Order: sequence, then C-alpha cells, then structure tokens
Amino acid sequence: MKMRNLRLMAIVFSLVLLGGLASVDNILAAEPYHLGVDLAITGTGALYCKDGVDAVKLAVEEINAQGGFLGKHPIKLFIRDTHTKPDVAVREAKDLILRDKVRCVLGTYSSACAVAIKPVCQEYKVLHIPAVSNSENITKINFSPYTYQVVPNSYMQAKAVVLGVAELAKKKGWNEYVTIASDYEWGRSTQQNTVNLLKQVAPNVKLKKEFWPRLGETQFTSYITAIMAAKPDFVIGSVASKDNIAWMNQAKAYGFFEKIPYPGSLISVSELIIQAKTLTRGLVGLCRAPFFAHLDIPMMANFVKNFRAKNDRYPSDWAVMEYDAVYALKQGIEKAGSIDTEKVKDAMKGMTIETSRGRLYFRQIDNQLSCSSYLGVVADDPKYPFPIYHDLIEVKGPDSWRPEDEIIAARKAEKK
Amino acid sequence: MDVSLLVAQSMSGLSRGMMLFLIASGLSLIFGVMNILNFAHASLWLVGAYFCYSFWHLMQNHGFGMWVSIPLAALVLAAIGWVIEVVLIRRVYERELPEQLLLTYAMVLILGDLIKLTWGVEDKIIVRPPLVDGPVFFYGIPFDSYFIFVISIGFFVAIGLWWFLKKTKYGHIVRAAVFSREMVSALGIPIPRIYTGVFVLGIFIAGLAGAVQAPVGSITLGMDMAIVVQAFCVVVIGGFGSLLGTLVGSIIVGEVYAFSILFWPQGALVLIFIVTAVILIVRPWGLFGTPMRV
Repeated sequence: MKMRNLRLMAIVFSLVLLGGLASVDNILAAEPYHLGVDLAITGTGALYCKDGVDAVKLAVEEINAQGGFLGKHPIKLFIRDTHTKPDVAVREAKDLILRDKVRCVLGTYSSACAVAIKPVCQEYKVLHIPAVSNSENITKINFSPYTYQVVPNSYMQAKAVVLGVAELAKKKGWNEYVTIASDYEWGRSTQQNTVNLLKQVAPNVKLKKEFWPRLGETQFTSYITAIMAAKPDFVIGSVASKDNIAWMNQAKAYGFFEKIPYPGSLISVSELIIQAKTLTRGLVGLCRAPFFAHLDIPMMANFVKNFRAKNDRYPSDWAVMEYDAVYALKQGIEKAGSIDTEKVKDAMKGMTIETSRGRLYFRQIDNQLSCSSYLGVVADDPKYPFPIYHDLIEVKGPDSWRPEDEIIAARKAEKK
Repeated sequence: MDVSLLVAQSMSGLSRGMMLFLIASGLSLIFGVMNILNFAHASLWLVGAYFCYSFWHLMQNHGFGMWVSIPLAALVLAAIGWVIEVVLIRRVYERELPEQLLLTYAMVLILGDLIKLTWGVEDKIIVRPPLVDGPVFFYGIPFDSYFIFVISIGFFVAIGLWWFLKKTKYGHIVRAAVFSREMVSALGIPIPRIYTGVFVLGIFIAGLAGAVQAPVGSITLGMDMAIVVQAFCVVVIGGFGSLLGTLVGSIIVGEVYAFSILFWPQGALVLIFIVTAVILIVRPWGLFGTPMRV
C-alpha cells in the first residue's frame, strides 16, 4: 500500500514538475526583450537623433513582425532623452537599467554622453551600442566588453580626411592650415587625431591656429573673420549638428568657401537635406553612413524604402547607423541562441554581421565595427531633391582604424 | 597688426553685441520698471524665432517672406506677452524674488514643451533673400550683409526706446513709476496698465530679437538656454534697468568675445564671465545702473 502510494506520489510529482517546467518554458518564450534608447531628443543633438529614433522604431517593428528576437522575444522599446547632457544621459541610463530592466542601451549622440554611460552599462552588465557617438576614446581606453561601436570612430574619420587632404595639399601646394572644432569630447578628439595624423602623412603642412567655439554656438562671425585674417591655405572643421549648419550658413554669407578651401568637414546626409538650398556646391565633405553609397545592397534598399514609406523622408547617416545597431544586436542574439546579455556580449566578440552598409565585422581588440568613412564632392543630383556626394571615396574601416599596437600602448599608459 | 583685421573683428563684435542687446534690452526694461526678473525671456525669444519660421514658411516663395515674417513674429509675441502678464505675472508683483523666479522658470519648462509639441524637434532653417545672403565689403573687408541689418535693427530699437522713455508722455509715466509707484498711482494713473504695457513692449522686443536671430543659423530647441546666460551678463555689466547700460554692456560683451577669439580663442567665454564677476564685485548695480530697490 505504502509502495503504491509512493509510486502515485512520484507520478503526480513528475507530472507537476513537467507541467511546471513547461510553464517556465512558456514564460521564457514570452519574455520580452527590453531595449533602451538614450538619445538626444532635445538639445544640440536633436537634429540627428530624431532620425535615429525613427530608424530604431522601424527595425524593432520589422523584427517584432517576425516574433521578436529569436522569433519569440518581442522587443519592448524604452526611449529616453539625454538633452545632450552627460549627467542627464547617466541618470536616464541608470533609470533604463534599474527601472525598465533593459538588456541593452542604444544611443547616444554626444560622445561625452557615451563616455559617461559606458561605465554604468559595464557596472550593471548591460550591452551598450553608442551608434552615433564616435569619439574613439569610447572603445580605445577604459575598455568595456559590453560596449560595441557601429560608427566609424573619430580616428577613422580623421584618417579618411587626412588621406584626402594630404593628396590635395600635395597637388595644390598647401603649407598652412587652421582648425575649427566644437569644444567638447568629439570635437577635441577628432581635431587632435586629424592634426596628429596630418603631421605624420604630410609633415610639411603646418597647423597655424586652433579655434574652439563652444558647443551650442549660434554666431560664428568672429571666428570667420579671425580665420580669414589668418589667411591659411585651408581650414579643417569638426563642427557638428545645428552648430555646423549655423557655421556653414554664416561662413557662406562671408564668401568664406570661395576664398579658403574647407575640405573634409562633416557634411552628413542631414546637412545635405536641410541645407539643400544653401549648401555651397563643390565642397569636399565627409560623412559616416550615406544611404546612397550602398543602394546596391538589398538591406539598404529595403531600409530606405521602408523608412521613406513610414517617415516621408530619406534616412540620414544617423538613421542608418541606429538601424544597423539593432540588427547587430539581433545577429548577436541569434549567434548566442539566447537573450542572456553575457552570452550575447561574448557572441558579438569578433563577429561578422550583415549590415545595410555591407558585410562587416567587429574588431576583437576594441569592438569597433569595420565600417567605412565617405568623402565626396557636394553636387546636385536629379534623383534627389537635395545634393548628394559625387566622386564618392569610400575609405574602408581596416584601412583607417588605429593600429592595434597603439591601442595596447594607450591602455598601458592609461594604467600607469 | 593689420588695421583691416581690427575693423573686421570689431564689426563682428558689434553684430554679436547688437544681437545680445536686442535680447537683453527687453529683459532689462521689464526688470527696471516692474522689478520682475523674467527668467523666461530667452524662451520667449526662441518662440519669436519659431513664429518667424512659420510665417516665412507660408511665404517662402515670395522675396518679401523674411522681411514680413520678422515684424509679424514680434507682434504675435507681443500678444503672447499680454496674455502672460494678465494671467500670470500680475499675480507675483508683490511676491518675493524667489517666487517670481520659480514662476518664470516654470514658464521656461512649459514653453520648451509647447515648442516641442508645436514645431517638433527638427531644426528649422530660414533661407535668406539674396539681398542679405552674401558678403558686403568695407575697404575690401568682407562682412555678412545680414549683420548690417542686425546692427541697424539694434540701433533702431535703442533709439526708439530712448525716444519713447525720454520724449513721450507715456515714457515719462513709465520712468516715474520706476521711482514711485505710489505717487503715479495717486495721480490717478493705473499702475497695472502701465506694467502691462511695459511687459508687452519687453516681450515684443524679445520676439523681434528671436525673429532677427532666426535666419542667422538654424532654429532649434535649447538655443534659449545657450543665450540667456550671456543676456544676463549684459544686464549685470550695464546695470539692470538702464537702457544705455544695456547697450554699452552688449557692445562690451560682443567686442570682448570677438577680440578674445583673435588673441586667445580658448578663453573667449571665460573673459566675459571674468568681466561680469569683476563688475559684480566692484559695482554690483552695473556700469550705468542704480542700486537695487528693496
């Protein structure tokens, strides 16, 4: 009797256990993936970030239409505004992690914000993909295994500019130049890299003066007259977003670009669209992810089509990179076979991914994607209601990123 | 040092100063007459810029679009100023300064969100008409022609305000109200109406300043916060409530900024704050102001 009871109990217990496991499995299957977005909805970076947010939403919709990550984890999106301020970015990132339980933080716009939230994400073991911020310090020093870069960093962009400028300097006999760069993390790091690299590539070209307008500057007249008075052979600029628009508008009104060559400044697709009527044609500009360079790739063609259908405008560089960030995460999760952050982080290490910009890979040493930088001549195109780049030069990631031994040396120096 | 360089730099300093004067003069006028420190002044300046964009957008195919949009935006802001004075500001005349600041700071947040709801977060750009979209040359020195317009508007507002305060009957009443509200009231002149008029005038100038700023670069959220600190520096240097002080303070700030860019580019903003701090220590009521009323 006792034996029969024991057997019965064992069967009942096994059934309950199996049922329990099945329900746990169901719970896991239904578990949504909480994805945080920490972008500058307002402030200096708002111009770029609206496109980024819209691209993230589009990618999430596409993935959720297939059941979410791994076909069973629908993505729940949490969007926060950094106000383009590091302290706010940190506060919002912490809130995303602690309150909304996000497993990954996308964003930010400002590199200062990215540098500020990187240790927060590392502390709480949350993935961090700053898809727009591109200071190389985000991945070069204070390395976090949780941080992945899908944007060409400031060194890569500087190298691309330097290669182009060195060629022009040789051809035109340029000897002296000045720089104008926004006075914050990205501006400083880009300017520093450009100056150092140009010294190596074209040692006879000398830096005459540096100008540092504050982030958020609205009136550049004093800078323009001071630069013109310095009579440099050319000017290199690292001014972004709305500051860049103000700077270029005012410089144009001074006839600046007709007098002084201004090669390789950041003229993203946002500027090409917004300044369609005012932008000086013939300028040699730099951008990070122009959609028109990769329309032959089906992923890009689909993205542009869907983005336009949904938002009634063309996607900017910032939209392309945020979109790629979501799909990089998707491929990381698929490789890991799990949404567990530790597994995804490890799976993404050195991973090759399909992006709207082609097949690229994350470099092992710094988690930097092997994405390209783009230089071209601003010119009208009958296919678009805004100018695009003609004579486009694509400088590949592996041709422009910082050598690994320099990164190792920088990290050693940092420890001292 | 090349003389042409000094002329070019002083012209750009003057244009910067005039832009600041347009913002700071309304701020100073309201404080001088009403004793209200309007923290939301720069936010209203920004609203003026957005209204200018909206009017221009409607008329962008016409060459006169920008020229008409600027005064229209200023008039809309005057109407908004009237509503704000009647509904909100009037209720804090007799309150302490911290309460006034709290109210006007709340207005900053409300206006920021209203702008976001109305115009979105994208930057707005006004394309200037050809007349002011290129350089003009003074003895071979290029200068943005739009800033000639800015400087002209600045001096026009300065002269207009001076004429209004010194030469008109209403201006005399306003000045009298600064010194003795009780006496003006005893003469049967309604002080609340005077205050409403002054507030509306101050916000009209803020709206005009915003509209004039709009075609300079792009219009975007957060511009107000970037400019408000410099506007306060101007009124601190010139003296709260002093029209002449505001004009001189604006030119000092503009020129200090322009020349420090030439000689010490990294320290341009620092120098302005050093000048402001020195004035606050040595002469807290500013160069042309009078000690604050208590």
